[in-house]
Amino acid sequence: MILIPDDAVDRLFNSAEEIGKACEAAGVAEWEIYATQGYGHSLEIEAGKISMASGGGDGGFGIRIVEDGRYGYAHLVDPSTASAAIEQALSIARMSPSIEGFELPENKPSSNVQGMLDKNILNLGPEELLEQGDIVIERVKELDSRAIAVGGGIGVGAGADVILTSNGIEDGGIHTSHGLGIHVSIDENDDLTSSYEGESSRFMLKELTASVDKAVYWSQVTRDKIKGGDTEDCPVLMTSDGFSPLFSVVVPSAISGERLAKGESFWSGKMGQNVLSEHLSLVDDGLMEGGMSSASRDAEGVPSITQNIVESGKLVGELWSTRDAAKMVAEGKIDHAASTGSAVRGGHTSPPVCGCSDLVLSSNSKTFNRDGLIEEMENGYIVHSVMGAHTANPTSGDFSVTTSTILKVANGEIIGSLSQAGLSGNLAKAMNGRVILGDSSIRKGSYSTGSMHVPDVLLLDGLRINPA
Amino acid sequence: MVVATRPNSNILSSGRLLDETIAKKAIESAISLGAEYAELRLVSETTNSVTLKDGKLERAIPGQEVGLTMRILADGAWGVHSTSDVSSIVSQVESTVKLARAVASRRPTNQPAVGLAEVPIIEDEIHWKSQKDVRDTDLQTRIDLMLAIDNEAKDHEKIVSTSTGWSDEHIHTELVTSEGMNRVWSFQRSLIHGMVTARDESGVVSYRTRHGGEGGLELIEKCDLGFLGENARISALRLLGAERAPSGKMPMVADRDLTGVYIHEALGHPCEADLVAAGDSCLEGRLGQQIGSEICTVVDDPTMRGGYGCYPIDDEGVDTRPKNLIVNGVLTEYLNHRETAYRYDLEPNGGARAQDGLHHPLVRMSNTVIQGGTHNDLDELIEDINFGIYACGSRGGQVDTGRGSFQFAAQEAWIIENGSLTRPVKDVSVSGMTLEILKNVDGLTKDAHLASPGFCGKGQTVPVGDGGPLMRISEALVG
Repeated sequence: MILIPDDAVDRLFNSAEEIGKACEAAGVAEWEIYATQGYGHSLEIEAGKISMASGGGDGGFGIRIVEDGRYGYAHLVDPSTASAAIEQALSIARMSPSIEGFELPENKPSSNVQGMLDKNILNLGPEELLEQGDIVIERVKELDSRAIAVGGGIGVGAGADVILTSNGIEDGGIHTSHGLGIHVSIDENDDLTSSYEGESSRFMLKELTASVDKAVYWSQVTRDKIKGGDTEDCPVLMTSDGFSPLFSVVVPSAISGERLAKGESFWSGKMGQNVLSEHLSLVDDGLMEGGMSSASRDAEGVPSITQNIVESGKLVGELWSTRDAAKMVAEGKIDHAASTGSAVRGGHTSPPVCGCSDLVLSSNSKTFNRDGLIEEMENGYIVHSVMGAHTANPTSGDFSVTTSTILKVANGEIIGSLSQAGLSGNLAKAMNGRVILGDSSIRKGSYSTGSMHVPDVLLLDGLRINPA
Repeated sequence: MVVATRPNSNILSSGRLLDETIAKKAIESAISLGAEYAELRLVSETTNSVTLKDGKLERAIPGQEVGLTMRILADGAWGVHSTSDVSSIVSQVESTVKLARAVASRRPTNQPAVGLAEVPIIEDEIHWKSQKDVRDTDLQTRIDLMLAIDNEAKDHEKIVSTSTGWSDEHIHTELVTSEGMNRVWSFQRSLIHGMVTARDESGVVSYRTRHGGEGGLELIEKCDLGFLGENARISALRLLGAERAPSGKMPMVADRDLTGVYIHEALGHPCEADLVAAGDSCLEGRLGQQIGSEICTVVDDPTMRGGYGCYPIDDEGVDTRPKNLIVNGVLTEYLNHRETAYRYDLEPNGGARAQDGLHHPLVRMSNTVIQGGTHNDLDELIEDINFGIYACGSRGGQVDTGRGSFQFAAQEAWIIENGSLTRPVKDVSVSGMTLEILKNVDGLTKDAHLASPGFCGKGQTVPVGDGGPLMRISEALVG
């Protein structure tokens, strides 16, 4: 393999075992070692050319120890320094509050998740990646001689992860990824339009130029400007690309068990009640084949599951990590809670925290393709991307963002593009109103945790368009 | 498996983490293979982060990470290798030279080769010492300071939760280049922050507060942390009863936080010369042109000690200095690094920053501040506004540098009616076009200084400082 050593997982296990032994030598009752090593190649595109190529790798170890319901954490890059890190983690644990019932997870059988690894990626060399860059840049020129790939990049990566615990959890594997981002602009007659598109997969992207086609299309279709009208509350069709960033800021935090229990979520106190339009369902799928946020076990070794969060509009589930569940029960915020295999972490430098995996929004009602959604909307706007999704308020669901890829629809027909407009509302309320979904979803990354799988979404109520 | 190694767990006897023999070998190897330039930059970060939830310790994470990035310029193109395994770097030289050549071979004939502007070649060490080295701070001290925020923040029945965070880092950088540059520098940053969540029958809201900058423990100790917590509580409770903000074009007055975010997003990013070179800046070709109101003068200054965006030397080894981005509304300077300075025949101004030792430097802002004006205070700024918005506290922003459009969001706001603040509103965001709204700045108070520390994302995340005076914009798109 070109990208990652054949024995990467074995080598991580060997080092994790060494650190585990050091924990035992230090008298640590419960310990968890997480080890990771990643490698990758990437290229950057700038001003219509490949501007840089790079490669490399990094990794390290995270040590979590638990004593009497208290925990401490430390991370390191060199296993020979483990003793010092263990001492640090122990001293922190001794200052931490004891949570009754908090112990590291027991070892339970887990399911295999298929589609985590593509051998073609493992054997992909830097020169082949540069050839992909050539194809992407050429495609932009082919589609529109005015269009320029002003930015973007392509990358492949392979990572090895291992978790080893004093309770007998011993799991590890290799995963791969291939990602592309492309920023296209058309600058003509003092009017610059642009679009950024991206996608990623555990497997080699099947259609390398699909994002390019989309970026050029949106750069073209937004050039036909019309005057913005008055501010209006109206239906808005958000493409999957425009909707998923807002969705990822607002929804994952709302379904955290701890936030629900503490009253920090706009869905707190609504278990069993309608929180979304009654034909909508939300599933957190930790076992999705090829899922970018799926794995056989979560970040603390608990077997992953596929969990219904919202069924036919009713809130029925929530996400828990082991410690959050124990803490909320110990504090009397909730009678019973247990891990749902929802621990995630941002690498070896972070201890496990609660988060979603592959989060899927679906409908049991009739869905439509984009043309069908436009017909259903009749009058309103199509929004393809937004600026400032990260400024949405995850506590309340309120947001106020800006878009420059917005099309006006009148009598079921696109009649032109606005140069810029504000888009505001409350996402939780809008999704609990009249909603129609598109018939296909694409996976998108997230501003918070996990991966979002949302289709085009027609929100008929509760949104305001404020043309510039 | 040793996934990452340092030559030693402690600094070598030479005072360096990067073994000079290895560094010399890597650089000589790159040059012998025909590279025009080679550079090794090692960054060691000693970090501590602490989180309290509802006043109880949730997590404390000490760590030390090291990363090394090798940049090689061959045939006028870059090849880069980044690793946490410092000892492996020599073995990566040949493949990195090949990468650079493969990129160069694809360069269109109408595109210039990458070159580097000349800079003084310096061998030295610069260490910005904190008054109280933050690495010597014990966990209990950190917790006690965080509790000073928490105790005030939670003091109301409608406050359902509080979260308090701490983050400090000691950054040690070593740079060795084929030109003979050999520099070592270090400094510290400290940050404390809190978030309050309040709830009643009208809904649930949250408010964030933050304090920090370049420096050690003294920076946090000097702050009135109880005041921060109290303000966060009061603001959260006020938001509970606030109505939704009006939408439309109207006059807007921004507090220091929002003035800083505005100037960062709307002006700072389009001034980054790597974006200009990419054809992705609305300020391309506008040096020397009047792009804003004559009362606007904006400086980006990494030497502004205490600011969260400070650094003593940039990540290409160039000495830092203040950059006057616009003076009296005229665009006078881009932020640049050596590559863009060469391309545009400009003086390098020390704008190269990398997130850490595993990333290559980009052109970035540091502490970006709009200078003060002539108004005495808020009352003077709003006295002739019939209907408008006074917006405070930042929830962040974003910019499309090519189009020149931007957006930023406020934590809270008030309606201005007939020259007075009347009632609170929520969910205020402001958007506009850089080249229009800079001309609409028509009032600034006299007192300009840095506001809350922030972070800037541009593929890599770096700490920044922003600020200025209170600022009035005659017409902005709100909501």
